[in-house]
Amino acid sequence: MKVRFWGVRGSIPVPGKATSRYGGNTSCVEVRPRHGAPIIIDAGTGLRRLGKHLMEEAFRDGLGNASILISHTHWDHVQGLPFFAPLYRAGNHVDIFARQRDLHLEAVFSAQNRAPYFPVPLSAMQAEMRFHEVLEGSHFEIGTAKVSCTRLNHPWVAIAYRVEVDGASVVYCSDTAPMTEVLLGEKFIAKAPSIDEPLPSDVAAELAQMRAGVVHLARDADLLIYDTQFSREEYRQRPHWGHSHPDDAIAIAREARAKRLCLFHHAPARSDDDNDKILAQYRQVITAQHDTFELHSAYEGLELVLGNE
Amino acid sequence: MKIRFWGVRGSIPAPGPDTIRYGGNTSCVSVTSASGGLVIIDMGTGLMHLGNSLLGGPFGKGQGRASILLSHTHWDHIQGLGFFAPVFVGGNRFTVWGPGPHGSAETLEEILEGQMDPNFSPLQTLKNFSATFDVRAAANGQTFETEGFTITAREHPHGTTTALAFRIEEAGRSFVYASDVGQPVEGAPPSPEAIAFYRGADVLLHDTTYRPVDQESRRNRGFSTYEDAAAAAVAANVKRLVTFHYDQDFTDDDVDTLVASCRAALDARGGTAIQLVPAREGDELEL
Repeated sequence: MKVRFWGVRGSIPVPGKATSRYGGNTSCVEVRPRHGAPIIIDAGTGLRRLGKHLMEEAFRDGLGNASILISHTHWDHVQGLPFFAPLYRAGNHVDIFARQRDLHLEAVFSAQNRAPYFPVPLSAMQAEMRFHEVLEGSHFEIGTAKVSCTRLNHPWVAIAYRVEVDGASVVYCSDTAPMTEVLLGEKFIAKAPSIDEPLPSDVAAELAQMRAGVVHLARDADLLIYDTQFSREEYRQRPHWGHSHPDDAIAIAREARAKRLCLFHHAPARSDDDNDKILAQYRQVITAQHDTFELHSAYEGLELVLGNE
Repeated sequence: MKIRFWGVRGSIPAPGPDTIRYGGNTSCVSVTSASGGLVIIDMGTGLMHLGNSLLGGPFGKGQGRASILLSHTHWDHIQGLGFFAPVFVGGNRFTVWGPGPHGSAETLEEILEGQMDPNFSPLQTLKNFSATFDVRAAANGQTFETEGFTITAREHPHGTTTALAFRIEEAGRSFVYASDVGQPVEGAPPSPEAIAFYRGADVLLHDTTYRPVDQESRRNRGFSTYEDAAAAAVAANVKRLVTFHYDQDFTDDDVDTLVASCRAALDARGGTAIQLVPAREGDELEL
């Protein structure tokens, strides 16, 4: 399979000179099995360019199929969907998978794609769209690919996906806070909680279970893509925002024995030079620790070939 | 008054090496009065950068106030709001003036609230802002005074809906913001009412999303070409025309070409005296 990054940024797109090498588009990753339709993870603004690229293939003629796995529906993970060109061509099929909510998924996406926010309602998009509700622990197949998922630690809950095909596996863990100090869910937390207090035992147990689920999902993965929006210090200041840092990502990769770790969901304020420094710093860390996995930092256009060629 | 461009792009932010010179952020313009009053027009992603720049002044201490004029509520005009740092500083005061109910049962506040729905935003509700955030409807033709400016709102056609244009005046100077305007019939001249609204403006910022060739394949989306903008500027005898709201697919070189074509269109219509100013992120215009 090939994994290609179309959007690597978190929170909000950041155009400009300072981000032009890593890219300013929000989250979107394409997993392309050797044979078969693309499996897209998240629909940030990177999806617009991926859509234009796909329109050079079967999608142009209304013969395309794609699946989109949504980690959660915060704006930076769905805002590219209305600009995904294949949706505007009759005959194309797009399957959208996301976690079950109180509201049916189709209603959630209809709320995004309607007046007075967007001129074209979901119902007027010509491609056939099918919505599939999944939950942590779900297993399903897309063509020859096997997909499984587990819960992440993020406000209003996000899920991680593992996609296995062509004898290779990619695991997408974004967005998540470390599963160690603060349990995030549906409650709005206005102020940063202290992360130095001991946790109530039930909260500690739930976090430990969530973390074990992530380590299990990432077990022996050829590629682990992980939310590293924050530095460790930034995380201490905003532990309730639901994002992690490279030290946590490395700990998970190490325990799961992942073969490659890719830093992802870069903060809007992170310049290209900042990202270069973070990557160099943590490559030294893993070398010093004798870790055997490769470390990458996601940038738009990065393509990794995994498994059988 | 001083005008500054924070986001000049239409529809969706367009990051990339090809959009660095003009900028890829969605619509946001600030207007500052001689006495320091601040009016912000539209809340695209450019608003985040404006907000960060304000934190060094009174907005960082909870002593800031500004009015926000909202042309309409399509995503590219509101998507910066959740990232506007001054709304998270208690004591700051914002008044939002935007379209009232128009073909929609929702009030403007409900529409903005919908953006913060917990399915979409970790803020969950506008009530989690620390600043005072007062949302008001600006009716078609309404004139109001705020931040040292006299402002008039006017509805323009925008595809299947409308967008508000604003005329902002201070001490005999005038700036008209007319983004996301598109005549319902292709190539139709702007209405006499619209021309009267632009008449004699020191600066007319007009939608120039498209070239005529783009318009052919994108009928009824509710945007203008540089030809439409040039025609309006000449008919209203404005002093300066600002191109704005560039299509998300246009590279910097494409925008260069669009601007050159707009210059030629002005000249061909007898508008040689009209100065043409392409909106670029970070640029300022002093009136």
